[in-house]
Amino acid sequence: MDFTLSGEQELLREGLSKFLAARYDLESSRAAAKTGPGWQPDIWRGFAEELGILGATLPESVGGSGGGSAEAMVIAEELGRALAIEPFVDTVIVAGGLLSRAGGDAAAAVLEEIAAGSAIVALAATEPRSGEHWEAIASSAVRDGDHWVLNGTKTVVVSAPLATHLLIVARTGESVDSQAMSLFLTAFDAANPPAGLTVHGYRTIDDRRAADLIFDDVRLPADALLQTDAWPSLALARDEGAAAVCAEAVGAMRKVLADTVDYSKQRQQFGQPIGNFQVLQHRMVDMYMELEQAVSAAYLAVLNLDAEPDVRARAASAAKATVGRAARFIGQNAVQLHGGMGMTEELAIGHYFKRLTALQYEFGSTDYHRARYATLTRPTN
Amino acid sequence: MDLAWSAKDLEFRDEVRAFLDDKLTPELRRAGRLMTSVYADHEASMAWQAILNERGWAAPAWPIEYGGCDWTLTQHYIFSRESTLADAPSLSPMGIRMVAHAIVAFGTPEQKDFFLPRILTGEVFFCQGYSEPEAGSDLAALSMAAVDDGDDLVITGSKIWTTHAGEANWIFALVRTSRSAKKQHGITFVLIDMTTPGIEIRPLVMTSGETVQNQIFFDAVRVPKANVLGAIDDGWTVAKYLLEFERGGGAMAPALQVMAESIAEAAIHQPGPKGGVLLDDPAFAAKLADVRIRADVLEILEYRVLAVVAEGGNPGADSSMLKILSTELSQAVTELAMEAAGPRGRVYQPHATMPGGPVSAFAPPTDGYVSGEPWQAVAPLRYFNDRAGSIYAGSNEIQRNILAKATLGL
Repeated sequence: MDFTLSGEQELLREGLSKFLAARYDLESSRAAAKTGPGWQPDIWRGFAEELGILGATLPESVGGSGGGSAEAMVIAEELGRALAIEPFVDTVIVAGGLLSRAGGDAAAAVLEEIAAGSAIVALAATEPRSGEHWEAIASSAVRDGDHWVLNGTKTVVVSAPLATHLLIVARTGESVDSQAMSLFLTAFDAANPPAGLTVHGYRTIDDRRAADLIFDDVRLPADALLQTDAWPSLALARDEGAAAVCAEAVGAMRKVLADTVDYSKQRQQFGQPIGNFQVLQHRMVDMYMELEQAVSAAYLAVLNLDAEPDVRARAASAAKATVGRAARFIGQNAVQLHGGMGMTEELAIGHYFKRLTALQYEFGSTDYHRARYATLTRPTN
Repeated sequence: MDLAWSAKDLEFRDEVRAFLDDKLTPELRRAGRLMTSVYADHEASMAWQAILNERGWAAPAWPIEYGGCDWTLTQHYIFSRESTLADAPSLSPMGIRMVAHAIVAFGTPEQKDFFLPRILTGEVFFCQGYSEPEAGSDLAALSMAAVDDGDDLVITGSKIWTTHAGEANWIFALVRTSRSAKKQHGITFVLIDMTTPGIEIRPLVMTSGETVQNQIFFDAVRVPKANVLGAIDDGWTVAKYLLEFERGGGAMAPALQVMAESIAEAAIHQPGPKGGVLLDDPAFAAKLADVRIRADVLEILEYRVLAVVAEGGNPGADSSMLKILSTELSQAVTELAMEAAGPRGRVYQPHATMPGGPVSAFAPPTDGYVSGEPWQAVAPLRYFNDRAGSIYAGSNEIQRNILAKATLGL
C-alpha cells in the first residue's frame, strides 16, 4: 500500500493549487455562471497552456502527458476545493476517456484539441425515461444512405451549451439493455445546431451549464459513428466520472469543514464561541469522520479504475455511495452550523452546499450505487 | 378516545371542500402547488387571505370575538389538510399566526381595535424583527437600542432574517430599553410602522436565488410608546409567549402528508436506479414509507399537544418537540423529493415555480421551456430553502436544550 504522491504528481498538485489560489476567484466564477457565458475561457486557456492539466491524463500521441487515474484525482480534488465550474471532468476525464478508447483519426483530432484547450466535449447519454439507468437508453440511429438519422431526447447534457463537440449515445440495432449501443461524434455549436436538433440550454443548481437536446430526424454523416458496442467503454467512462467526482467532492468538503470549524471559533453566542458547545463539537467531529471516509473511498475508486470491470464497478459504487452520504451530511451540517448566513449567497458555504448537493446525483446517485453494489456482491447460490 | 371522524366532521369536510372548489382559482392553486418554501407568492397569498376573510376563515385559531372560528381540533385539522390537498397558497404566518396572539394576550383595547381587524383584511401586514447579526440563537443578547424620549422611543440598530420586509407595512420587534445583569430583562416589544423615516431594507439573496429574507437598518427611528406591547422592559414575556405559537402553533402534519403523497404519485412515472419504476425501487419505497409513517405519527402527536392548547393550557416545551420533529421530517421529505426528481432535479428553473419572493440574476428562457415537470423544478429550491427549518425560530440545537432543561429537568 502506498498513498503518497510521486514527485511529479506533487508538483502537479502544487502548481494547480497555486494557480487557483492566485487566479480563481469565487465571485468571478459565480458571475460567469449566472450572468456570463457559463465558464471562464481565460482560466481554461491557463489550464491548457500554463498548467497542461487538460492533457495530463491523455495519451502522449495527442499532445497529452500520459498520466493516469492518480493524476485525474489530484486535479479533480484541487478543482473541487476551488469550486471550479469549468468542465474538466466532463471534457477531459469522461469524453477524453471515451475518445481515447474509441481510437481513429477523428477521435485523435478532438483529443488534440482537448489537450490544447480548444475543445469542450459533452456526453449526451441520459434520457428522461432512462434516468441514471443507462441500459434503458432508447435514442436511435438508423442508417439512411450516406447518413445516420438520429431520434430521441437527451436531458441534462452537462456542458452542452459550451461544447464544441458532442458524443451521442444511440442504439443502432433492435436489441435491448447494454447491447447495440453506439457512440457518435459530431462538431457542435449550441447557437447553431444542425437541422432537426432542438437545444434547450439552462443553468444548473450548482452553477454549471447543461441542456436538453431533442433529436428529430437529425442527419449525421456516416463517419460520425465513432464506435459500435460502446457499452464497455461507456460503463468505464461512468466509473471514471464517478471516481473523479468523488475526488472533486473531497476537495470541496475539505474546504467546507475548514470554513465551518473556523466559523465556530469566531461566532460568539451566549458569551462564547459556538465551537465551545459540545453538541457542535461532536457534529464537527462527525463531519471530519465522514470526510476521512470519503477520502478513503476516493482512493478505493481511483486505485481500482484499471481493474477488471466487476472489481472496478464495485469499488466505484462503494466510493460514490460513501461520498454521496458524506456530501449530504457535511453540506447540510455546514449550513446548519453557519445558521442563516449559510443559506445565503454571501458566504462561500452556500455555493459549496449547492455543488455538494448536485454531485450526489452525478454519475449515479447514492441509491443507484448502493443498489449496484448489492447486485455485484450478491453471493451466487 | 376515538380517532374516527364523526358525521358532523365529514359534513364539515364537505363544506370546506365545496368552498375550496368554488374559490380556489387555477392561478391560486398554481401558487400553492409550486411554492418553493413555506412562503407562497405574496400577491397570491394576500388574495387568498381576502377570500378566506370574506368567509370568516382567515384566522380560525383566534378567539371568536376577534374573528376566529368555533371549531373543534378535528375541524382545524380537516381545514388544514383540505386546504393543502386543494393546493391553496399558504398565508403569511407573522401576522395571523404570531403577533396577533400576542396582541390578543397583551394588547391595550386601542391596539386590539386597530391591529386585529386590519391583520384580518391584510391592510396591516407584519414582518418580524427578532434576530440581529450578533443575536441569533442567543436572542436575549439583542442590542438594537431604544432610547426613551418623552412620548417616543428612538430606535437605532439592525435586524436580520426579516421575511418579506419589503412587502410589510408593520414590523414587530424586540428592542433593548435597558441593560441589567439578566439580559432577558430590559427588552421591549414594539410595533413599528415601516413607513417611519430612518428605516432601510437590504435584501439577502439565498442559495435558492430568492430574495425573501432581508436585513433592516434602523437609524433614529421614532416609535410612539403607545406602540409598545406589554410593559416596557418586559418584552421577553411577550416574546416567549409568541415563540410558542411560532414553534408549535399550527398543524404541520397535513402538509407533510400531502407532500409525501405527491412524491409517491410522481415516483410512479420516474425511472428507478435499476430500471423499472422508481416507486418500486426497494430503497426508495422504504424511505418514502418512513417519511409517511413519521407524518402519520406526527399528526397524532400534534393532536395531543393541540388538545392541551384547546383546553386553555400552554404547550410549553412540547412546542419545541413539535418544532424539531416537523422541521426534520420536512427536511426528509424535501430531500426525498429531490431524489425523486432524478437528473432533472439539477436544473435551475425558478420560472416553472412560484417562489415567495423575486429571484435574482436569472433570465427565464424566452420560450418558457421547462425540463421535465414543474415539481422537478420546485424540488431543488424547496430542498435549499427547507434547510432554514432547523435554523429559524430557535435552531433545533436550542430546542433540544429547552427540552432537556424544561421537560427532562437536566
